Amino acid sequence: MEMANDLSIRSGLEIRDLTKRYRSGALANAAIDLHVERGEVFGLLGPNGAGKTTLVKQLIGLLSPTSGSIHLDGVDLVAFPDQARRLCAYLPQGALPIDALEMTEAIELVGRIRGGSRDDVIRRANSLIEDLEIGEWRHTPGHRLSGGVKRLCGFVMAAVWPSRLLILDEPTNDVDPLRRRLLWREIRRLGDAGTTILLVTHNVLEAEQSVDRLAVIDQGVIKACGTSAELKAPSRDSLRLELHLALGGDAKTRVLDSVPHFVADVATLGHRRHVFVSQEAAAEAIRWAQELSASGAIEEYSLSASSLEDVYLAIIGRSDALDGAAGGESS
Amino acid sequence: MIGDSSARPEGSRELAQPVAKGERGVIAHWLRSFWLLLQWELRSLRLYVTLAVIVQILLGPGMIVGYGYLIGDVDTFTATYLSTGLGVVSMVTIGLVLAPQLVAQQKLTGTFDYMFSLPVPRTTTIAAALAINCLIALPGLVFALLAASWHFDITFEPSWTLVPAALLTVLTAASIGFAMAHAIPSPQIVGLITQILIFGLLLFSPINFPPERLPSWLASVHEWLPFYHSANAVRSSLTEGMATEVGRSFVVLAAWAVASWIVTALVVGRRR
Repeated sequence: MEMANDLSIRSGLEIRDLTKRYRSGALANAAIDLHVERGEVFGLLGPNGAGKTTLVKQLIGLLSPTSGSIHLDGVDLVAFPDQARRLCAYLPQGALPIDALEMTEAIELVGRIRGGSRDDVIRRANSLIEDLEIGEWRHTPGHRLSGGVKRLCGFVMAAVWPSRLLILDEPTNDVDPLRRRLLWREIRRLGDAGTTILLVTHNVLEAEQSVDRLAVIDQGVIKACGTSAELKAPSRDSLRLELHLALGGDAKTRVLDSVPHFVADVATLGHRRHVFVSQEAAAEAIRWAQELSASGAIEEYSLSASSLEDVYLAIIGRSDALDGAAGGESS
Repeated sequence: MIGDSSARPEGSRELAQPVAKGERGVIAHWLRSFWLLLQWELRSLRLYVTLAVIVQILLGPGMIVGYGYLIGDVDTFTATYLSTGLGVVSMVTIGLVLAPQLVAQQKLTGTFDYMFSLPVPRTTTIAAALAINCLIALPGLVFALLAASWHFDITFEPSWTLVPAALLTVLTAASIGFAMAHAIPSPQIVGLITQILIFGLLLFSPINFPPERLPSWLASVHEWLPFYHSANAVRSSLTEGMATEVGRSFVVLAAWAVASWIVTALVVGRRR
């Protein structure tokens, strides 16, 4: 048995000093250290091209690391990629190859390939299909499923047979708000049952509500790791004034021209401005926003505590360039 | 709304356990995986397989009748030579043209990325796909021979070696097609090469005519390529005295199949 001799390796997912450099020379993962507790729902956040998928593909043995180690409950996944695929279930971000298969056919076959008996797989599949309320498409072939239902079918394919690590790459893409909630409930249940869950996403708002802990990855490096509250701690005193710019004209310029002294930072998200101010300046900030509103420069405004999205954009340091990529509009 | 919770995967005792397999366990796992993947492929490709079989059933007889128009009245020897050759052409076409085009398309839709993330030996994925191609290709030979015996009024004398000869022909062609489609990254290039191959196969390969008609350099090249040997092996199993050095043909075909498997294994088996 290929269990680790190193007693310092903990249960759950233990990634140490993981570096992946492609033959082209591109550095996709740089010395990543990460520990996910067993049964934890862990979010991996990062913009496109941050190195998320590269990391995942090393977990399931599709890519081999340049250096470093990956252990899952003590099993060395780098040395034994076959074991990695047995212990990990994976919902890829891309299309699932189930166009000609009926939903239940695809789920049943994958469940059996993952090691389940036909009866067990069918029983579990039925339960998940009912819980996610996708029963009406049970016998619909994949090419006729909507994007969201297909994602949910992919989730059931990954979850229908128990695994040690469930890797979900953007599981809620295209899923309607109601079923998103059902999906999160299922994910939480699996975590409670002892499955470690790695959720890969760039949807920060959703991650904030759903994960136990999260890590932000950018340019191959883990920039921050902790609970949502821990990540937000440094900006606890900061408030966010959100300004919806009036469309057309020179509204944009006017707002930028008149940024007052109490403004600590500004972020641009489409036709919104996020203006950060200290708590002491709250009254002044509201007065300023009311003036802008009266002058017609903005349509509306709101003041709230800094969100994880603000922290995320600050961490990856590209708030002006991202333009809503943090998934603020998603659900 | 909440379903029966007893039916859900739960409890750590049920979580997947790492296993160390014995030799028998490895074989059983391979066979089970192969069987399940074969079902996956058959069901995923049911429309494609059905259409391909229909095309094969029409293609073999179609070539017999069409070539009959081309060459006019022929003696029994020529008709037998041509018919056995066309049966081989219909099988090789599946392996060298349709199989790589299907692989190229599956690569585009991410099929292999997904299949390779499942806990199955990668050889089973390839083996299942090869089996499907054999299934599609064999009716081409059968119906070509039936059509030939009716159209040219000839009889064949099939021996037991027809089964290994036909299987090896399909397997070798499909294995080459797979190796090519997996090794070449661009689907467009794969498509182009298959077009060139079918051209060379029909006009410049000694399948439907004896190699002596080719320039000597091309004839000697074909001594090492699989096409002449496919025809020779199949022909020897259907006729008396029309084929020579059959043992060598089987060896060359098997060598091409094994070489293709090695290339395929190297390409799909490596972790980049």
